Amino acid sequence: MRKLVLVAFLFFGSKTLFAQGCSDAGICSIDKGFDRETDSVRQVIETAVVYSLGEADVKYVSPYVAYTKHFSSKFSFTARVTYSTATGSFGTRSQFGDAFLIGNYRFKPKQQKQWSAMLGFKFPFTASNLKINGYSLPLDYQSSLGTIDVLAGTALKTGNFDWQLAVQIPVVNLNRNSYFSEYSGTTDFPSTNLFERKPDALFRATYTWQLPSRKLTFKPNVLFIYHLGEDTYENIFSKRVSIAGSDGLTVNINGLASYRLTKKQQLEVSVATPVVVRDIRPDGLTRSFVLGVSYQILF
Amino acid sequence: MRTLVLIVCSFLLFGCSEEGVLTSGRVAENIAPDASLQYSGNFVPTAGISVAGAAQIYFSEGSYKVQLTGFSISNGPDLKVYLSKSDVPNNFVNLGNLSSQTVYEIPDSVEVADYSHVLIHCQQYNHLFAVAALTQN
Repeated sequence: MRKLVLVAFLFFGSKTLFAQGCSDAGICSIDKGFDRETDSVRQVIETAVVYSLGEADVKYVSPYVAYTKHFSSKFSFTARVTYSTATGSFGTRSQFGDAFLIGNYRFKPKQQKQWSAMLGFKFPFTASNLKINGYSLPLDYQSSLGTIDVLAGTALKTGNFDWQLAVQIPVVNLNRNSYFSEYSGTTDFPSTNLFERKPDALFRATYTWQLPSRKLTFKPNVLFIYHLGEDTYENIFSKRVSIAGSDGLTVNINGLASYRLTKKQQLEVSVATPVVVRDIRPDGLTRSFVLGVSYQILF
Repeated sequence: MRTLVLIVCSFLLFGCSEEGVLTSGRVAENIAPDASLQYSGNFVPTAGISVAGAAQIYFSEGSYKVQLTGFSISNGPDLKVYLSKSDVPNNFVNLGNLSSQTVYEIPDSVEVADYSHVLIHCQQYNHLFAVAALTQN
């Protein structure tokens, strides 16, 4: 019953808050390769659509497709491509976002504990400088941050709990964003001209609760993201400056319900909303509410 | 296989946009009739670029503005207008995207006399397109 209350809270909870988002399908969703228990599954095709609310009046529809190949009971590989449509006062912008290539390795279980590790890369499809009608757009309207990132993490499964620790490190900055708040006609978004982003560290705790029929699974979780430093941009005077308050902690509460339609088909619904946020969120990953639906074919 | 690659590549290039309230067109800014011309210079292109016109800096009602007159330039993906302290984009004030508008406001905090050039620069690919050396009028 307590879990049902938690899920209900996730659905109807504090919509006015903001969080560093999981919309980029980055470290917020890297656990996918860890969480399948069926050893007979060799491949998974997943298609999903995520609806979310961002800063100011920005709304997002962000579909993605993913393919996972289980080479053995220990090693799997996932490829994912994201797309994003952002709508708000600047207009509507749609574009491909990033490609993710991630490998997962599951170690042999010991005393009901199982460790796993992941390593991956994120490649952007844009330099984060999409424009509308010649106007530069803030990062909130960009489909990608324009960085090549390394993603690395580890997970521990103990009973019904999963504990994950990960980092997302930008290693090549291709961001050529040219948005200046001064020239935009609004103060809703900070300037991000030639934006440079600092890494993130993530910690997530997940509780898995499965109905006896094993058809329906709930996974409430809490997600801590620490932005490891202040992001920077080049101001109108061609000087690189730090964005004060862009570092720090974000805490999201997330809920996921997974329903097994058949032995080879699965439907997932996830919701997320934040409870702790950074002071300034220039990266455009800010979301006040996220609702995702995904459909998976396992074979 | 080639068709598949072509389809994938086409999808990767696919994107669309629609203007909104903040991107629905530009209000043409004009130089006031009583503005005084302070500095001017003709644009000179860099290699492979064609450019025509001049940059003029006017002073009116306590602020400076750059006007591009008779201006045309080769197409570029991310062209900016810089007020620069030299003929290369090292120390400059970014006046914004080069657009159909011809007047660019200079922020009040800028000491215009310290700047000697107006540059047209492609920021995304860091390529200088044109240079106008300013002389005092």
